[in-house]
Amino acid sequence: MDLATSMAVAASGMRAQSTRMRTIAENIANANSTAKTPGGDPYRRRMATMTSDFDRELNATMVTAGDPVPDATDFRQNYDPGNPAADAKGYVKLPNVNPLVEMMDMREAQRSYEADITVMEASKSMMAGTIDLLRR
Amino acid sequence: MNMPDIPLLGMLRERMSWLNARQTLLSQNVANADAPGYAAQDLKPMDFEAMLKDMSPANQRGLLVTDPHHIQPVSPNAQFDQDAAPDGAADMTGNTVSLESEMIKVADTQAQFQAASNIYSKAVDLLRTAIGKGG
Repeated sequence: MDLATSMAVAASGMRAQSTRMRTIAENIANANSTAKTPGGDPYRRRMATMTSDFDRELNATMVTAGDPVPDATDFRQNYDPGNPAADAKGYVKLPNVNPLVEMMDMREAQRSYEADITVMEASKSMMAGTIDLLRR
Repeated sequence: MNMPDIPLLGMLRERMSWLNARQTLLSQNVANADAPGYAAQDLKPMDFEAMLKDMSPANQRGLLVTDPHHIQPVSPNAQFDQDAAPDGAADMTGNTVSLESEMIKVADTQAQFQAASNIYSKAVDLLRTAIGKGG
């Protein structure tokens, strides 16, 4: 049935957005995680990826969340000789996470998720309308 | 006589399956709103003239069979033409979906579907009145 397909596609979008949300949550939670060893690398920011694939069974283009990709930008550095993760010169490497970027990304994921819910509700009400015809 | 053989009901059924197919395409667009390189799709609008021609008894559609009671194949939603319909300029990743336009299209499809199903039930009520069971 067509409307069931449209709900399945919307569900695939919601799944992809929640996977993206998880990656964002990991980044925000680890925004200040330093290395365990002096002078080591701290947490590296990861970026969510998404691809659209054609599903032959449903005859529709679904979206899937791919594996998160590490962000190759440089780490922030802070002079803090007392920190256990500081190197010989007293500098601590901090993760390359920018909370502002993460917040924007989070809002975008939230907005797309809400759009998926709207589509799902519209499909559901159309389906209910069709079922109502049976009661005539 | 089958119910879909009545032109009005047949046309409404066609309209509802078109709206169904469109809803599936729109949900694809919304789901892929953040997928790089995805191009927004939409169905071509229905052509009323062609539809009227299709519905006339002389022009019954479907596969030619030796006996009208033979089972007809059920075709998936490929029967409606779809087309790339960008909502606006592509963003940096080449994606042409705009969530705002998609939301408007979804609401429009939903309203149209409600209209079609209401007209369908009114038409059935009319038939019911005609056969004397009250409407």
